[in-house]
Amino acid sequence: MDFCVSRGVPVKALVALLLLLAGSVRAATFDPALIEAATKEGSAVWYTSLIVDQIVRPMATAFEARFPAIKVRYARASNTDNTVKLLNEGRARRVQADVIDVTSGIHSLVEAGLLAAYRPRVAEHYPPVLKDPAGYWTGTNLYFEAVAYNTNLVKEPPRSFADLLDSKWKGKMAWTSELAVQGPPGFIYNVLTTMGEEKGMAYLRGLAAQLPAGIAASPRAVLDQVISGEHALGLMMFNHHAAISIGKGAPIKMANIEPLVGVFSIVAIMKDAPHPNAARLLTEFILSDEGQKVMADNDYLPADPDVPARIPELRPDAGHFQANYIAPDISRDGLAKWTAIYHEVFR
Amino acid sequence: MSGALTWVRQDMRRVIAALVGIVLAVLMLPPLWILLQDSVTTTNAIGDVTGFTAGHFAKLFTDKDALRSIWNSLVFAGGSTVLSLVAGGVLAWLVERTNAPFKILAYLATIVSLGTPYILHVIAWLFLLGKVGPLNDIYRSVTGGTDSLFNVNSMAGMILIEGFLWSPLVFLLLGSTFRAANADMEEAARMSGATVLQTLRRVSLPLAMPAILALALFVFIRAIGGFEVPALVGMPGRIYVLTTDVYEATIVVPPDLGYAAAFSVVMVLIVAVLLYFYSRLSKNAEKYHSVTGKGFRPRPFDLGKGRWIAGAMIVANFCVVLLLPMITLLWMALLPFLRSFSLAALPMLSLKNFRTVFTAPGYVELATNSLLVAAAAATFIMAITALAGWIAARRGPGGWLLDQLATLSLVFPGICLGVAVMEVYLRVPLPIYGSLWIIAIAYVIRFMPYGMRYVYSGVLQLHHELEEAAGVAGASSLTTLRRIVAPLLSPAIVAGWLFIFLVANKELAIAVLLASPGSQVIAVSIFDQWVNGQGGELAAFGLIWTVLMTAIACLFFVQGRRGGTDVFGN
Repeated sequence: MDFCVSRGVPVKALVALLLLLAGSVRAATFDPALIEAATKEGSAVWYTSLIVDQIVRPMATAFEARFPAIKVRYARASNTDNTVKLLNEGRARRVQADVIDVTSGIHSLVEAGLLAAYRPRVAEHYPPVLKDPAGYWTGTNLYFEAVAYNTNLVKEPPRSFADLLDSKWKGKMAWTSELAVQGPPGFIYNVLTTMGEEKGMAYLRGLAAQLPAGIAASPRAVLDQVISGEHALGLMMFNHHAAISIGKGAPIKMANIEPLVGVFSIVAIMKDAPHPNAARLLTEFILSDEGQKVMADNDYLPADPDVPARIPELRPDAGHFQANYIAPDISRDGLAKWTAIYHEVFR
Repeated sequence: MSGALTWVRQDMRRVIAALVGIVLAVLMLPPLWILLQDSVTTTNAIGDVTGFTAGHFAKLFTDKDALRSIWNSLVFAGGSTVLSLVAGGVLAWLVERTNAPFKILAYLATIVSLGTPYILHVIAWLFLLGKVGPLNDIYRSVTGGTDSLFNVNSMAGMILIEGFLWSPLVFLLLGSTFRAANADMEEAARMSGATVLQTLRRVSLPLAMPAILALALFVFIRAIGGFEVPALVGMPGRIYVLTTDVYEATIVVPPDLGYAAAFSVVMVLIVAVLLYFYSRLSKNAEKYHSVTGKGFRPRPFDLGKGRWIAGAMIVANFCVVLLLPMITLLWMALLPFLRSFSLAALPMLSLKNFRTVFTAPGYVELATNSLLVAAAAATFIMAITALAGWIAARRGPGGWLLDQLATLSLVFPGICLGVAVMEVYLRVPLPIYGSLWIIAIAYVIRFMPYGMRYVYSGVLQLHHELEEAAGVAGASSLTTLRRIVAPLLSPAIVAGWLFIFLVANKELAIAVLLASPGSQVIAVSIFDQWVNGQGGELAAFGLIWTVLMTAIACLFFVQGRRGGTDVFGN
């Protein structure tokens, strides 16, 4: 191994070493009985809201390489579309999916009684916030959101929430108009919990007067408009998206106004899964250090605290930033309220 | 015996009408039923109906912003209808009825723009007219200021983009109208000393009026139900229309489908009323028939020196509809991330995005699935609407009803239709759900109105003396249909097929909702890339797909010419 000292290499070497250690300590062992039962079923159907090219296909390929007799068949749609599909299939008693992942809306599937409780053995050491107390879901990967700015247009970036109310940002900000936790509702939650209801609402009204543009596209597409210079600031931008674009030379930077909003994708198993054992095995695999390494290798932030991210600073531990997690039970109770506030204040 | 034979002959049209009616009803009514049910019921967590409510409709009519949204919808739909009719109509007339040069550019622009995924057009236009786009860039460098000349996120921007999205369709449909127009009347006008403009105003336009009104209605309805432009162009500028209100109801988890359904029901009613008035209007359609048993091929006007002005207009349209958006897409495809046109960006250009698309696995299967489903849907639709459109336009038995049935799905928001189709076919004990078939069926339902419009306006042009002559000569309804109507209608049918084939490959909302692991189509993949903000890859893939679609369109164009069938005219 080459340990010559040049910028970046020691970190990489350290990461490699850590991975090696992690691998030797807990080279994922899967229950042989489960593997046998899953092999008999032959395939697992995965309804996903993750991006196919970036993570679903690599994950499926890694799984099939580990378990060649079991095929992963996936279909991608948004959280909303997947929820609609699963509710309809459930009502018609023709459930097609074994495993699903979403970032929001899991509670409607729990309430409809469509999910199976399952506590994956490989996730025992995961932080409690990433696991459902009732065992219906487990976090697979993390996202952190803050303000991104165009470095050609912005010389002095905002450093605090209060800075965003400076009149020089009027008409210069954008965010997604998708009303999920990773959009404006998550921002509203973050402001209300860190400032308190009264101050928070006053702040939101002040921000609304700045006329942030609501873009009917994903946060990723909004970030692209910040990169192109269409907008100077992007609110609720994913830090790993920014890191990927910065790597390609895009003129942007993150302004980590704390606390950042933390959300995560979660995986769950259908109660009437046609291939229940394959479903469990795929879930175990995604959450195992092997699956989590696939996440890291493809620029996703692993939920497993023992598997480092490819750019470690993107996670709170190595990045030294505060994160305000919006777990599924928080969004279940609050999403309607935050959405109503968005409608009242920002439209 | 001979009495029975006569009965069969006379009533063959009735039998056909009944059969077509049954097929249409089986396809179109169950989703409508689901829609009606959703609009007046409340459901529990899993979606079982738990009671009735008028709340969804109440919300639609009492929401504080609803009136403003309705007004915006009307302005948006009206404005873009007028723009697309003027732009597409003028172009169609110049190309079909005059000796203007560069006609091929008009066909090229139309064919290619029909093959380009809708969302790509909008993205390209947003960039062109946006704050950092070339238009505002040039303005700033001329004035030296930092202001923008044009704010694309405005009603004007929405109308401009939507209008030019629809002008190719207007060009295609009005083109066939002008082409088939009876030259005798125009000739007579000119021999009586009328100028070109006078002839146009007094003869050509009135003759084309039913087709123009039908098209106006069609574009208006589509624009009222249109989503991409209001969402991508209007919402950032805080301009809300009905569809974006509904969109906000459908993106929460779980979606508020009741509200969206109530909206659809209102739209279905509006369209039914519009269609009713339209059919009354076309009761006097006889005077517009211009494809008669007499002279068929019209002779083009000689514009004199004006033909160069006309040529310039055709070139300008080519630039606006095709060249500029395509250059923009190419620019996006060659860059690792989007930035404005500049020399400084040139060193960053690379073919990496194209390489990614070509090397990504799975695209062959996606492409095959997509082409298969689109071709199946287009073929089925044209077979059904050729009959339904003929009966409806001839006001045969149940014609108005057939028209209504075939046009029903025009105003369903994509997600509502997708959900309705899913609910219907989950209950059908056939293995349709989860296969490619369900996408094909959804496409058939979604695009039936397009087939209907193509055939309907095609039939309106045919004078029924041709069919009467066949009848007098002893032909049965079937023979008349097969030997007289079908051949004369074939340009409209082939054009309709092609159009549906091309737009079906662009459909997003339905495909994403209905695709299962075994039945993914291209549109889903495009959607993926858009969501993930892989704008460069999306542009690269879109360009490749556009080239493929254009090649297919050209194939039909050439085939049509060789076989004596008109596809796009000439």
